[in-house]
Amino acid sequence: MKKRTVTYALLILSVLFPLFSNSSWITIGTTFVIYSIVSLSQDIVLGRAGMFDMGHAIYFGMGAYTTAILNSTYGVPVLLTIPFAVVIPVIFAVLLAAPIVHLKGDYLLVATLGFNIVFEQALKNNLFGITGGPNGIFGVGVPSIFGIEFSSQASIYYFSLFFLFLTLMIMNNLEASKTGRALHFINEDSLASETIGINTRFYKIFAFAISAALSGLAGVAFAVQYSTVSPEAFNFIQSVLFFTIVIVGGQSSIPGVLIGTFLMFVVPEIFREFATARYFVFGIAMILTMILRPKGIWPVKFGRIPKYIRH
Amino acid sequence: MDNDRLLIVEDVEVSYGNIQAVKGISFDVRKGEIVAILGANGAGKTTTLRAISGLHKIEKGSIRYKSFEITSVPAYKIVSIGISHAPEGRRIFGTLNVRENILLGAYTMQSIDDERLHWVYSLFPRLQERQNQLAGTLSGGEQQMLAIARALMSKPEMLLLDEPSLGLAPILVKTIFNVIKEINNAGVSVLLVEQNARLALQLADRAYVLEVGKIAISGSTKDLLSSTKVQEAYLGKKSNR
Ligand SMILES: Nc1ncnc2c1ncn2[C@@H]1O[C@H](COP(=O)(O)OP(=O)(O)OP(=O)(O)O)[C@@H](O)[C@H]1O
Ligand SMILES: [Mg+2]
Repeated sequence: MKKRTVTYALLILSVLFPLFSNSSWITIGTTFVIYSIVSLSQDIVLGRAGMFDMGHAIYFGMGAYTTAILNSTYGVPVLLTIPFAVVIPVIFAVLLAAPIVHLKGDYLLVATLGFNIVFEQALKNNLFGITGGPNGIFGVGVPSIFGIEFSSQASIYYFSLFFLFLTLMIMNNLEASKTGRALHFINEDSLASETIGINTRFYKIFAFAISAALSGLAGVAFAVQYSTVSPEAFNFIQSVLFFTIVIVGGQSSIPGVLIGTFLMFVVPEIFREFATARYFVFGIAMILTMILRPKGIWPVKFGRIPKYIRH
Repeated sequence: MDNDRLLIVEDVEVSYGNIQAVKGISFDVRKGEIVAILGANGAGKTTTLRAISGLHKIEKGSIRYKSFEITSVPAYKIVSIGISHAPEGRRIFGTLNVRENILLGAYTMQSIDDERLHWVYSLFPRLQERQNQLAGTLSGGEQQMLAIARALMSKPEMLLLDEPSLGLAPILVKTIFNVIKEINNAGVSVLLVEQNARLALQLADRAYVLEVGKIAISGSTKDLLSSTKVQEAYLGKKSNR
């Protein structure tokens, strides 16, 4: 199939990319990879389950801070911080989502936004004396196995790319799974889903949990890439970005979300002199997309999706 | 006679915030019956069905189905115990085709029973003709058929229908009501919420009339059809005394 060929070509290209790129391009590539993971995970909640989560930076930030605190403050090797950087966001996602998932669109949006503001304040005010206050935490190390350090930019790129592949695999499985189907039905009509016997509450919370796990992984990569974490990187403005990336790119559409991330994080780098105008460029893109392509730049084709409905 | 009472609703009260929509109602549905709940807009008919199927928590009272206390059973479990709810406003999945929508009715089943599928298609031949059409592009009447068809796939013993005649042409309403009779003849008990009192009274065995959250009148449909009160208030007839 043609689509499959293109997919594999892109995957191979992403693996070979550092071989023909200089270090500053690999840095841009790494940023793209990390933010792609967060945007894709945002899509699970927003695009697939249809919940207006405007606080997704929380889980990304929790992953990043967990790795930063454990590694920089307590000297835990980066690789060993990964399970914590996944589990902690998941626990919080479940605790935060449980009381609010029944809320309708805009109410959920405001509630999650509120969580994000509280989260940022907690980081800034040096909660429990471990988040480092407004300056955050410096000096996060790099992963190492058997004494070999992943310190080159290319190796950090591959470290992040591994997480992206994992994310893509999970999303791919999700599409063909009972859970993915349930999320699609809930998105379309939560009440009807409930009446046919879908435990909508469970699946909504599950969507938050899996999405927080992936964002946590992206957080690990973020901490390693920048070797520092600070509150601004995870404030609600970031959540707004992830939210709009999904809407602009195309909900439930992996290529759409990747294109959205590319527009937001890579295009400004290509036009270096306009880099400070990135919000301007993306703002225009948002307006034009919503007028010209209200379903996103690369919308998913519904009606073709449910081939997998036959049990 | 308690064991042929399939559904027993006792002193049920339901509120939305501080507005009480259902103010202590009691009724039952016996095995094999069609029972109608009639009433004006806002009387609490939909709320009553939502309470039974667990979509809305009740404040007081109890709901029993067979020997189960289902008062606090969550909505997604209700379908597995034999009650199927075709909610108000059709609520079909517009991005799926007709066949997929119907099959989804069997979401909680281990597998899809082909015999059941044939039966459902025989009730609604129109849906079979259009099985590959996107459900969102069906006409209102066809969507209503689809909602009922979907609700039948879980092999319910009890069907909750919320205004199946809403927005349909009179001829189509007759068709749908005939199908409801046929479903009932196959052994499914039906609790039917309707505003079309005349047709509902012709179809049902018994009826309850709700007025602002309370049962105002109840009885066999034969009695209700000849009651002057019902005729004046719900059938638009002037009494000629
Ligand atoms: N989600 C809600 N929030 C607040 N009030 C509600 C809600 N749903 C229903 N109500 C109120 O509860 C009362 C009963 O509503 P219900 O939908 O049960 O009426 P109904 O008999 O089904 O009317 P209709 O024939 O118009 O469908 C109404 O006064 C309505 O305004
Ligand atoms: Mg109603």
